[in-house]
Amino acid sequence: MNIDKKTQKYDRQLRLWQVSGQEALENSRVCLINGTATGCEILKDLVLPGIGSFTVVDGKEVDGADAGISFFLDGDRIGTNRALAVTELLQELNEDVRGDYLAEDPISLIENRIDYFLQFTIVIAVGVPEKPLLKLSEALWDSKIPLFIVRTTGFVGYFRVTLPEHTVVETHPESIVDLRLDIPFPALEQYVKTFDFDSMDNMDHGHIPYVVILLKYLDQWKKDHDGKLPSTSAEKKQFKQLIESGRRNTDEENFNEALANAWRVFTPTKVTSQVQEIFNDSACESITANSSNFWIITRAIRDFVTNEGQGLLPLAGTVPDMKADTSTYVTLQTIYRQKAKTDIATVRSHVDKILSSIGRTSDFIHDDEIVSFCKHAAFIQVIRYRSLKEEYISDPKKSDIDRWLQDPQDNIVHYILIRAIDKFYETHNRYPDAATFFFEGDTEEVNEEAKSEFELLKTYVNILLSDLQITNPPDHLDDYIHEICRAGGSELPNMASLLGGLVSQEVIKIVTRQYIPINNTSIFDGIKSTSSTYIL
Amino acid sequence: MAATRMQTDVPTPQDSPDFSKKDWPGRWSHINKILDRRGPFCDKSFSPGHGEDILLNQCRVLVIGAGGLGCEILKNLALSGFKDIEVIDMDTIDVSNLNRQFLFRPSDVGSPKAKVAAEFIMKRVASVKDKDDDYYLGFHLIICGLDSVEARRWINATLVNIAQDDPEKIRVLIDGGTEGFKGQARVIIPTVTSCYECSLDMLNKQTAFPICTIANTPRLPEHCIEWASVIQWPKEREDEKMDTDDPTHIQWLYEIALKRAMEFNITGVTYSLTQGVVKNIIPAFASTNAIISAACCNEAFKIVTTSQPYLNNYMMYMGNEGLYTYTFEHQKKDDCPVCGNQNAFLEVDKDITVQDFIELLKEKPDIQLKKPSLTTDTNEKIYWQSPPLFEQRTRPNLEKRLSELVKDGYNIIVTDTTLPISLNITVSYI
Repeated sequence: MNIDKKTQKYDRQLRLWQVSGQEALENSRVCLINGTATGCEILKDLVLPGIGSFTVVDGKEVDGADAGISFFLDGDRIGTNRALAVTELLQELNEDVRGDYLAEDPISLIENRIDYFLQFTIVIAVGVPEKPLLKLSEALWDSKIPLFIVRTTGFVGYFRVTLPEHTVVETHPESIVDLRLDIPFPALEQYVKTFDFDSMDNMDHGHIPYVVILLKYLDQWKKDHDGKLPSTSAEKKQFKQLIESGRRNTDEENFNEALANAWRVFTPTKVTSQVQEIFNDSACESITANSSNFWIITRAIRDFVTNEGQGLLPLAGTVPDMKADTSTYVTLQTIYRQKAKTDIATVRSHVDKILSSIGRTSDFIHDDEIVSFCKHAAFIQVIRYRSLKEEYISDPKKSDIDRWLQDPQDNIVHYILIRAIDKFYETHNRYPDAATFFFEGDTEEVNEEAKSEFELLKTYVNILLSDLQITNPPDHLDDYIHEICRAGGSELPNMASLLGGLVSQEVIKIVTRQYIPINNTSIFDGIKSTSSTYIL
Repeated sequence: MAATRMQTDVPTPQDSPDFSKKDWPGRWSHINKILDRRGPFCDKSFSPGHGEDILLNQCRVLVIGAGGLGCEILKNLALSGFKDIEVIDMDTIDVSNLNRQFLFRPSDVGSPKAKVAAEFIMKRVASVKDKDDDYYLGFHLIICGLDSVEARRWINATLVNIAQDDPEKIRVLIDGGTEGFKGQARVIIPTVTSCYECSLDMLNKQTAFPICTIANTPRLPEHCIEWASVIQWPKEREDEKMDTDDPTHIQWLYEIALKRAMEFNITGVTYSLTQGVVKNIIPAFASTNAIISAACCNEAFKIVTTSQPYLNNYMMYMGNEGLYTYTFEHQKKDDCPVCGNQNAFLEVDKDITVQDFIELLKEKPDIQLKKPSLTTDTNEKIYWQSPPLFEQRTRPNLEKRLSELVKDGYNIIVTDTTLPISLNITVSYI
């Protein structure tokens, strides 16, 4: 059989990120700081699809509570090192993944041997306090290693990505349709001319591809309108009527398709502002020997646009399915593909020029990469993350947070609480943990200790709010203070697993450089079952 | 199809799990923080300190499906303290399950999933469609992690039907589904909230290729593959049943499709695409399954313990561009064929034939039947798909105009293999 075991095993996911994505995954080395239930769930969802290796760093001894909520621990492991215990069981999930562990306290490791973390492709820090986290994030930032910061408490999950820059070519848009109907290229115009609608029998007429129908009538329209395209809504309507007039009977599906796609004629093909912004980026402007392939090819495409492309991106070269007979469709497909090939060759020559200007040979960038780039040129993405230092110290998003916080439905309130319990932890070396919310009938259960826990946490919330210059905290904040005291730093298995799924998915996107990852913070509220993403 | 009762404990990843394992100190301490304390959002009826008892002793859960979602669901329920769980699945394990179904090892390939997933204490051969009402009434909660629309429709209609006249018989259905980076989790309270059938038109319709395109004007690699499986297989391997799990069969289809594609200068026929088209493969990976299963189990936990409000009633999840959820109340449809209190109303051409009407019932996005049989509300057979005797007897009606058999504004009773109940459809001619 021509299908190997691995292709079979990974079949369902290869359909999402192909062999190139799988290879990137298999070359990744993932570090997990703290083998908590959430941490293990993240690793589970990375080990199953086949990362290269993982290392768990954890100095904690497994206790009964740990073993109760983690699928990768059991009662027998109580008293053993948590990194060792979970690594053994995680390793079992996939024989193609190498599992390793370091039974050391991650905080002292960050303080004393920060370089240890620079060997990994990606680092996931679960439940690390603010100070060591800042140090870790700076070191990884400088080495351009992505860091995922993860927290779960009660019904709330939080994670944050830091990384100086992430670029994506294969963003997997819903469809890549680039037909150039408003400005057909010569080969396409030439092909349309070979059709004489009037002389066709009904069978052939019912199989003219809609691209040809639209271009034929557009040609006629332009002749009658000084070469201009239909632009006002009255003109667009008239143009559609013109197409309708060519229809021989109501059953002609190709004419239905032409009418449904007429908007493509009215929508000018151009470089979108998003892509233009990437072209204007300083990284695109000044290519150096340190520039990544992404920026070199982007620059080559920009050069193509300003020269041979006459203001347009290289053609994607894909033709959607449409009513047509086989040979017409295949010919049309070939015309688009041929033009795309020519464009790719031109971009290739720009790439070579740029490479030689920085003292590199052409084989530094493979043809495949250029082909894929040209196909996705309209959808490329650049994400510049904000650093944790910016978020916490040098440039917090004060006014955004203030604005979001006023909306009682907004999940930003969880961010405030998570930051506040971190501050609480820093002083008390524990998380707030008490029943603080009562009904009137519950009075006999109310005790002073519980009440004071609420007030204590509230002082930390207020410190944070004043740091953020938020002067009018909303009333609903109190409810969330009660709720987080109730949660008492607990990890719920469902929330651990949910966060495991969310974080692993984003790790996969970053590692494979496919699909668009979040920027930069995501919060899931398991009470309301809602999520939000923030740039913090 | 096997139904397996998990008597008690967490299925652990080791080869021979020990089900008799006792609790250890602190085991439930995380969960108990929530269950022992009142919170500002929890239900008025929530009574601190009793959650464990509810989870451990009072709640029976049925999990349908032991695939990518099912494995996650079982693990989460067990870790959340649910003790009495029964699993039904209809599949055996394939190698391609191993990238996301962690309760299975390479050595399990070929075994029925439910058996391995619950480590098999009591084996019974059963099918979703074989279960009677009492079987479902034996559970407090039913969680579906299936990739089959048909099985979901069946269970949904069954549960709505059971609950129809007696609110005591309402059994909550939690349903999860994924496709690639997308998914949804929802809570269905039969007869109270919208049901699975109410939202049938939200499903992506499967692309069906017209047979004339496949036979005469292929353009896509998919057309060539369909040609191999729909036209060439019955022609060349008449006596053999096509088994889409048999790699030699896929290989044969692939080669035939490739030959046809080359003949027509069509590119893109691959083994993987052939397999994808003939098996109707839905891409999947571990993360989305984990997200949706956890969302479902979180709702189950909240509903059973009343420790937080539960989802009302739909969460849509999209992860391909950033991370996005849309949580909303899907509205119950008054004319839902399963839970609505109004008849479904269909306007049709006055000249429509019975045959075309049947085609309409198959294609209409909010009805989507497979093999509908039609009866008038005065109990006259219009067309019955089975048994053969009735099929033969009613076949001549297919050519007739529907209006000859059913008067304007009258009802047609429709039964179908897809649903355990019959639908009432009022027709109006235009």
